This record gives sequence, structure tokens and C-alpha cells, in this order.
Amino acid sequence: MKRYDLIVVGAGPAGMSAAIEAAKHGVHVVVFDENARPGGQLFKQIHKFFGSKEHRAKIRGFVIGQELLDEAAKLGVTVELDSTVIGLYQDKEVVVKQGEQVNHYKGDAIVVATGAAENMVTFEGWTLPGVIGAGAAQTMMNLHGVRPGNRVLMLGTGNVGLVVSYQLKQAGCDVVALVDAAPHVGGYGVHAAKVARTGVPFYLSHTIKRAEGTDHVTGVTIAQVDSHFQFVPGTEKHFDVDTICVAVGLSPMSQLFKMDGCKVVDDRRKGGQVPVVDDLGQTSIPGIFAAGDVSGIEEASSAMIEGRIAGLAAASYLGFATDDEERAGVDANERALDGLRQGMFAPKNRGKKVEKTEEGIPVSQTLLERGYVADSEIERFPGVTHRVGIHPVIECTQNIPCNPCQDVCPKHCIKVGSHITALPQLEPDANCIGCGLCVASCPGQAIFLVDEKSEPGFAEVTLPYEFLPLPQKGDRGQALGRDGKPVCEAEVVGVKRTKAFDHTAIVTVKVPEDMSMRARFFKAAPATETD
Amino acid sequence: MGTRIAEHPILGVPQKGRLVSFTYDGKTLQGYEGEPVAMALKAAGVMVHRYTAKRHEPRGIFCAIGRCTDCVMVVDGVPNVRTCMTPLAEGMEVRTQYGATAVPFDAGEKDEASAKDGGAA
Repeated sequence: MKRYDLIVVGAGPAGMSAAIEAAKHGVHVVVFDENARPGGQLFKQIHKFFGSKEHRAKIRGFVIGQELLDEAAKLGVTVELDSTVIGLYQDKEVVVKQGEQVNHYKGDAIVVATGAAENMVTFEGWTLPGVIGAGAAQTMMNLHGVRPGNRVLMLGTGNVGLVVSYQLKQAGCDVVALVDAAPHVGGYGVHAAKVARTGVPFYLSHTIKRAEGTDHVTGVTIAQVDSHFQFVPGTEKHFDVDTICVAVGLSPMSQLFKMDGCKVVDDRRKGGQVPVVDDLGQTSIPGIFAAGDVSGIEEASSAMIEGRIAGLAAASYLGFATDDEERAGVDANERALDGLRQGMFAPKNRGKKVEKTEEGIPVSQTLLERGYVADSEIERFPGVTHRVGIHPVIECTQNIPCNPCQDVCPKHCIKVGSHITALPQLEPDANCIGCGLCVASCPGQAIFLVDEKSEPGFAEVTLPYEFLPLPQKGDRGQALGRDGKPVCEAEVVGVKRTKAFDHTAIVTVKVPEDMSMRARFFKAAPATETD
Repeated sequence: MGTRIAEHPILGVPQKGRLVSFTYDGKTLQGYEGEPVAMALKAAGVMVHRYTAKRHEPRGIFCAIGRCTDCVMVVDGVPNVRTCMTPLAEGMEVRTQYGATAVPFDAGEKDEASAKDGGAA
């Protein structure tokens, strides 16, 4: 039986981070993963991450994934792929199916970072080909370059449902609706808003009644539900679709902990059955650690920090790191983790309806119910101000831990402050040079540059744009409002792409003066439109 | 249905292997070497991967990460192969799975092979 100091189960963000941290202290590590490629779900995450610099904010997930793999390779971490861990026993024996063989390994310490599996809901026709998980859609389009469908309905408005809807649009699919049985959008308002402004309607308090088709999906019927989640008769709506995408949450894949006898509890806030762990991620069995979604559903950013903590704790448990080294490293990581666990979407607030921001401003109800901030609500947020000349309008209306806007502005025009969840504001003496870095860097795509009177009777609005075909200077079309409905004619007067923008183009449109605070997306005229 | 993305705004032009031929229920199709068989089928517009043993219901790609087993087919004569996890190779023979075999139900009722009730329910 082959022995290792540390065996890590799962080569996703948590597992790779644990392996890296342990290997830095000289621990001999192997990582087993059932997939043919390491990185877990990171390579499907093509959006820019939230957080601050220490959380690798504004970097896209797949880039972070590549960085992790490179770092692990440099440190000599062995990653065994196509290796499914099928057994974990109390004395830290690990049973792995590799090809047609079952091999036994022994670790002196174990980190389990198996992640999570998608939840499912059933409805009439849910087994038809064409009903897919949101993860499947990401796998098809972001890993393999294959469109999941032409016309897609998304069920679920948590961050996964919102982000994947946006990614479907980026892949060239038509998203016909976002549907959720809950009365309020579950994910970040900024993720909802960037989908809503492209014209995708939101149906909250609605769910799928049936998927239609004989051999595969050809349509779907949704209907409104009451407060007891019962269908309201007469509210059915039909959509012609070829694909129904389901994004209704994740559950920790914690089976291995049960097998080895670790104490496991059912914790709804953490998404299901999770091992009981201490602040280092150690389970009830000394030397067996948990990190990432398997110990409670969160984001990849927090999974990486939990992984680093578990890797460090394992190194210390094995005698490779001193208590002082462990304490110092863990403290720094816990501060970083604490930073991510703040704000309206913090684990402690899960399931709660937050009515006001930390600043005491009423949260936009339209955002929660329809996915966008109404024109009548937007002016009450501190990032939305009127100035003479070009200036950022920051439509960030919920307290989430994120501050790249503050870091990227070369003129220090934007202030979040030391409290990372505070709503960003424009400094009173801001001297915006219109560089667009804030527009391109905001992971929520919530910043616009507005020149309220660029010439008599006209205004210019600069917006982030991540679709193809990219509009060209001189193109004419319509400006869409936050609700995705046309508000006026618009002409593209500038398109900018630079390396620092990292594939987010910024497009400047000229609109009538009174539309400067309403025009938030550009749709080319049909002649140049392809979808 | 599912078509290939020529160019993606963030990911650029997808990096693919060599174009190879394979057969799907005897028809020759093309896909990229090394991509999951299920992706080559999806790109060719194939939706149904198998029919269930008892109710003869169609199934296709569902999770695409090897967890649900909805996408299993008969590949090179081997049934219950997860097509979302199996890399495409030149000359592969991919067949729709009926229960646990590649023999359609009505044709196979007299066939010995279909007498065994498959694992893919």
C-alpha cells in the first residue's frame, strides 16, 4: 500500500489550495480527482470574481484555476486524475478506483474537498432530453464550446442561475425567461441586473408546470405559485424552448465522511449533510479535514481560503509547521475569509430578507422582484450622482464584499473604504478621466461612465459589453433601459478594448440628454443583428 | 439544437483536437478527438442517448459531469458507457442504448440479449 503524508480528495479550488499550502511546508502530497482534468468547476467560471485583492477579485475563475495548477506543479504536488475515491476509513486508508483497478493508499492526514452536487426539482417531463443542470450548460459551452440549446429557460435565480443565464447569452443562446418559485431573486442583484438589461424577463413566484415534447424538449409551461408554493390556476405561460436549465442549489458531497465515521450533521444553512469541523476544518477524527463546499455551500473564493487553512492545519498536525507558523497563517486566512462572509448574502443571512442596506437605504424591491433597479429607485443609492462632465455612475445597491472599483481607479475617484461591503461612492472632488477601468473591472458590471451633456441635447453613456459581435463605432441601434426595454435611439461613438479590461469591452453610446440616467445597454439595429 | 461556438467573447476560438469520424447508429458523424462523445453528439443535434428499460422513456445529457448516468450509450459494443466522460476517438461506434443493449425494443423482444434487465433503469 502506497503511503503519503497527506492525501487530498478533490482537485478543485479547495483541494488544490490545501495541497499547495501543505506542499509549501514540505509535506508529501497526492491529490485524487475523478475527472480527466483538474480544477473542479473553476474552469467553467468565466466571470470576474468578487472580493478584494486578497481574494483575487476581478480575475476570471478559469484564470485562477490555471494559476492554482501552475503553483501546485511548481511545488511538486502529484495530481492523480481519473481516480475516483470510493472509500475512506477511520485509520486514513483511502480506496481509489483507477481505470479498472481498485488501489489502496494510506495517508497520515486527509483533506476531503469533494465539493457539491447540483440539486434537482421534478416536474412533468423533467426527464426529457433537453432538461439539463446549469452545471451541464456551463460544461458544454465554457469547456467544450458547444451551445446547450438555441432557446433556453432558466429555473432558479440564485447566483448560479443568474451567472449561467448571462453565460448562455455570451455563448449566443436566447434566454427566454428566468423563473423562480421564491418571491425574490436569490443571487446578487448586480448579476440579475446585467441579465435583465439585455432583455431577459424575470418571473418570480413562478415555477415550471411541465416540460413539453415527446423525444426531447420543445416547450415549457410555467405558472405562478402562491405563498404555499401551490399553482395559481389560470396563470400558465408557455414558451417555445429546446432547453430547460435547472439551477436550484447545491448539496455537499459528504458521503466519505459518513464512511469514515466522522460526525456529520444536517445543516440547512450549509446546504445539507456536512461534517462537524473546528475552525481549522478538522473533523471529529484528528487528522481528517474538510474544506470547500463539502463543509458548507459557499463561493469558490471562500473554498480556496478554507483549503489553505486545512492544508496548513494538516502540515501542523503532521509536524511540518510549527504552532506559531500555523497560527499566523490561519489568522491571516481567517481574516480574509471573514471579509468574504460579510454583507447581505453572508452565510448568516441566508434565507433572510434584508430590507435595508448597511447605510440604512431601502433595498430596491424591483430588483428583488424583477431583476433590475427601477428608474425611480436608482437615485437613492450613494454611487449614483450627477456631475458636470464625465463621471462614474455606480449602480451597486446591495452590500456585498467587493472593492475592485476602489483599487483600479488611477485617480482614486471611487471610495468603498475599509469596510469592504460598504456601497461605493464617488469622492466629492473626483477628477474622472474617463479611462473606463472601473467599468471593465466591476465584477457586477454595475458601473457606467456618464457624461450628462456631451454636446447640446445629447449625453454619452459608457457601458461594459461582453458579447459578440462587438458593436463598432458608428453603429446605430437602440439603447435599452435597466429593464431591458428600448428607451431611445443610440449611436455607438466609441469602443475600447485593452489588456487591462480583460475581455470586457467598453462601449460608449450617444443618447438624447434626458436618457443619460436610463440608457444602460446597447442593442444593434436589426440590419447588423445576428441573433 | 446545440451548435458549436465559433468564437466566444471571453474564451476566444475554442481549442479543439483533430476532426475525426465516428458512427452513431451506423451513420457517420464527425467530432473532435478527445472531446466527450456526448459533446460531439450534441453538436450534431443528437438529443436521445438511450431509452429506459421499463417505460422506454428517452434520456439524454443531464449533468454532463459523469454523475447522473442519463447519457449512457453502447460504445464499441460496451453498454452503460457514460458518454459525457468518454473521450471521442477515431472510428468509435456509438449506439443508442435500449435498456441495457443496442437492440431496439420491438426488434429485440425476440432477442436473447434484451431478456437481461439492464442496470440503466
